[in-house]
Amino acid sequence: MTYTRAHIFLFLAPLLVIVLLLYGMIVWTVGVSMDNWVGMAPVWRFNGIQNYITLFKMDRFWVNLQNNLTWLLVFIVPTAAMGLVLAYALELSGKAESLFRPLFLYPLALSFVVTGTVWAWMYDPDAGVINNFLRAVGLGNLSQPWIADPHQATFCLIGAAIWQYTGFAMTLYLAAIRDIPRETTEAARVDGASDVQIFRYVIVPNVSHATMIVVGMLTLFTLKVFDLVWVMTFGGPGNSTEVFPFFMFIATFRQQFVGLGAAISIIILILASAVVVPYAYLSMKRLQS
Amino acid sequence: MKRLSRLPLMMILVLLALVWLLPMYTMLINSLKTQHEIGQSQYMLPPHERLEFQNYAEAFGVLKQGLLNSVIISVPATAFAVFLGSWAAFFLAMMRFKYSQLIFFVTTVATFLPYQIVILPLTQVLVRADLFNTRPGLILAYLVLNTPMAALITSTFFQMVPVELQEAAALDGCGPVTFYWRILLPVGQLGIVSTAILIFTFIWNEFLIAQAMTQGPFNQMVTPVLAGLKGNYAQLWHIQMAGAMITSIPPLLIFIFLGRYFVAGLTAGTFK
Repeated sequence: MTYTRAHIFLFLAPLLVIVLLLYGMIVWTVGVSMDNWVGMAPVWRFNGIQNYITLFKMDRFWVNLQNNLTWLLVFIVPTAAMGLVLAYALELSGKAESLFRPLFLYPLALSFVVTGTVWAWMYDPDAGVINNFLRAVGLGNLSQPWIADPHQATFCLIGAAIWQYTGFAMTLYLAAIRDIPRETTEAARVDGASDVQIFRYVIVPNVSHATMIVVGMLTLFTLKVFDLVWVMTFGGPGNSTEVFPFFMFIATFRQQFVGLGAAISIIILILASAVVVPYAYLSMKRLQS
Repeated sequence: MKRLSRLPLMMILVLLALVWLLPMYTMLINSLKTQHEIGQSQYMLPPHERLEFQNYAEAFGVLKQGLLNSVIISVPATAFAVFLGSWAAFFLAMMRFKYSQLIFFVTTVATFLPYQIVILPLTQVLVRADLFNTRPGLILAYLVLNTPMAALITSTFFQMVPVELQEAAALDGCGPVTFYWRILLPVGQLGIVSTAILIFTFIWNEFLIAQAMTQGPFNQMVTPVLAGLKGNYAQLWHIQMAGAMITSIPPLLIFIFLGRYFVAGLTAGTFK
């Protein structure tokens, strides 16, 4: 099809305006993170890296970092692993696949506010679903303070997130498993490989591309988890469940330490870039081929 | 037989599926209980007194304006984002020109960066434009944030459109604009619908922007209102669950009846 430079401009200008606007906003946030802006109205008083120094000196910052790392370690591996195992189980289950798949995927269609509302109740120490159930079946000694306990609360949030995101990992893995040529698995089967062996030696090595994407997307999710924290614990008890995205919101919009909030945004930006930039680069390479 | 017997596999799948259904089950049965019955704390059992639909009426009374706002905001924001995104995706997916790769790259980065990084300037832009705490302001915010993703997902679908179609169209003297409207949109229908469904669900469920850009009940979307309901109806689990059910109805209906598109959009957006 013949097209001119005017056509290229016509078709790409709207997207480019929006993308450049977003990049401009990133630069703007970097600028604010180096200003002593406190209060509602913009204050452009340059103070270099002072906001970052203040941040690093706060205990709260290190609690946040620790929680973000907990999310990273405790959320991603089970979600991805369960997603992969479920995907393979569904693939083996034949016709039942279309019945089971929506049952694991439906949580992804819900809002985190809905998930948070339901799971906050599940975990409630006194009137909660889990503890009441344990008491009703005579296992009352297993009941826990759950989200009321600073040491357990982050893990409770992660539990809700695993419930919501396993279906996502499963869906991507299922697509990846379907992309493996049928002959590969059939050949292994003819050679006498068991289902478990096929999983170990054929499926796992052949879905590494999906693993990369799943882990990347789940990492990004942990770097922006906000709604669940807000709804289920509001960062508490104390600030034991706070993570950077939550702290950023409170610092900026509630306490109006806008410069400090922007500095947290930039830390999130740096962490997220470590995932997004390689991902975008690989997508670009795939587009070319 | 070296194959795993299907019976244990099925049993494990059924068990896990029950665990996955449990929160939805709890939400549904308890949203229909009377306050008296909720007080008995038998949360796993279905209601035995009567089905208390009054809970839904009460929760709906609180959420009404939020639901309306969410519709008013999500629908146009989705439509504009998908249109602008697919408009650019046509060239990104089907044409090779200078910098096309770079544009694809910067669009991908913009798609996946957390909102926290741009939320402060976005708020300031809306304040300057007198659009803060208004519905047009939220439409604009969601449009800006979702257009790159729409471009990315639709471009994945457009790449599957056969090149011959372009060549045939060119022979008939069809230019790019006509091609987009008359051929690509109908042929790429699956991609357009999938993208729209996914982005609508994202916006409907979104909370951070909705919470930051509105104050007070008049312009708030349903998610902040539901989060507020949880505070105002503490311990009144039946009302909370009814509210959570009502908020989930649109995305769940989409998931049940258009799940195929939802999954297609999800895989195209991340996987390809």
